Amino acid sequence: MNTRYRQRTELRIAELKDEGIVLHLGSRRYFTVSETGLRILELLREPRTLAELTRRLVDRYDVTEEHAEQSVRQFIAACRDANLLVAVRSE
Amino acid sequence: MTAPLAHSPPHMASTIALRCDDAPVRTAVRAWLDGTEISPPDPLAVHVRLVGRLGPQEDRRTPFRQPTVIIRSGSPDQPTRLDWRTAPATAELGIHPEASVFLTPEAVARLDECLSTFFTPVLILLLRRARWHHIHAATVMDPSGRGWLLAGDSHAGKSTTTALLGANGWRVGADDSAFLFAHDGRVLARAPRSLIALRPGGRALLAQAVGRDLDHIDPHPFSPSDLGTSWTPQIAPQIALFLASGGTRTSGTPLSAPAALAQLVRASAWVMLEHEFAQQHLDLLTDLARQVRAYRVVLGPDLSADPSLILDLVQ
Repeated sequence: MNTRYRQRTELRIAELKDEGIVLHLGSRRYFTVSETGLRILELLREPRTLAELTRRLVDRYDVTEEHAEQSVRQFIAACRDANLLVAVRSE
Repeated sequence: MTAPLAHSPPHMASTIALRCDDAPVRTAVRAWLDGTEISPPDPLAVHVRLVGRLGPQEDRRTPFRQPTVIIRSGSPDQPTRLDWRTAPATAELGIHPEASVFLTPEAVARLDECLSTFFTPVLILLLRRARWHHIHAATVMDPSGRGWLLAGDSHAGKSTTTALLGANGWRVGADDSAFLFAHDGRVLARAPRSLIALRPGGRALLAQAVGRDLDHIDPHPFSPSDLGTSWTPQIAPQIALFLASGGTRTSGTPLSAPAALAQLVRASAWVMLEHEFAQQHLDLLTDLARQVRAYRVVLGPDLSADPSLILDLVQ
C-alpha cells in the first residue's frame, strides 16, 4: 500500500526570494518554508507518494536519492504535524 | 522642534452607498462613513436594517474573536457573519460588494459605540470586496516624502511613535489601521481619517518631546493638526518598521524580504479570513514585502528626546 499526500485546500502560499510563507486558513496559523519545501508543496497540489516526490527532487536538484528521500521524509513529517496535508491511501 | 502649522486636505465624503429606512440611523451612519473618507474605486454598499431582535443562528464555523466582534467565515455557501459583542447586532457579507447590517434597539441605543467598534470591522470586510486589505499599522510620511508603515502588536508604540513623528514635522496618516491596495504596479496604503489615541504613557512622552504640556490638545484623542502637522490620506510605503517596546535605547535591525513578509502577515490577521479573498490579500503583502526596506525596531526612551533618531536607523 502506498500513501499519497496532497495539500489541504485551506492552504494559501506565497513565494519570495526562494523562500515561502504558507497560511493555513483552517487553523489560522502561518509557516515559513525553504525553497525546497515550496517545491514539494507545489508538487502536492496533486496527490503524490514519497517516492514520487523524491524522484522529482533528484531530477531538479543536484542531490543523491538518499539525501532527497531524507529531505522529503522530514518535510512531510513537519507538514503532517502542522496539519498541512491530507493522506490519501491507495492500493 | 515643532513643525509649523499645516493644513490637512478638506473633508471628502465617502463614496460607499448607504441604504437605511430609519432617518436618524441613516444620518449617523452616513456621517460616520463620510468621516472615514474611505472611497475605493469599486462600488460598495451598506444596507442597514432595524429589527426587533435577531433570529436564532446555528453557525458551526470556527469563530475569529476580536475584542469587539466575533466573525465566522470560511465556507463559500454561507455569508461571512459578524456579531457585535456589546449588544445584539449582526452583519452578513457574501461575495457581492454589500454588507447587510441588522441592528436591534439595544444596538441603536449605543449607536456611537456601535459605529466605532462594530461598523469598523464590517467596513474592513466590505473593503476586501474592492481589493482593499487591512493592515494593523500606522502610516506616516517623512519630510522628504517617503512613505513609512509602522506595524506592531498592541502596546508596541505605533501611536506614540506616530505622534512623536507628527510633532517633528512628519505628515500623519493613520495611527493604527490602514488599507493596502495595488495601483500602477505599486502597493499603496490608504488611511481612514481618524484621530490619534495615546495612552497616558504615550501622552507623557509626547509632552516631553514637544517641551510643554498637552492641555492645548483637547479633546483627547486628537488630530494631526493639533500636533502642527497635516493628515496624509495615502502613502506609497518605502520603509516598514516592525515595532517593539522595551529597549534601553532605540535600535533597528534590517529584515530580509521573506522575514518582512512574515511580519506583514502577523500584522494582517484578517488575511486568514474568507478563503476567496485570502490569496489576493497574501499576494498584496508579498508585493509590499518586495517594495519596502524593512526593519525590526526596538523603541527606547531616547526616541522621545529626538524622534529623528528613527531616520538614522534606516540609513
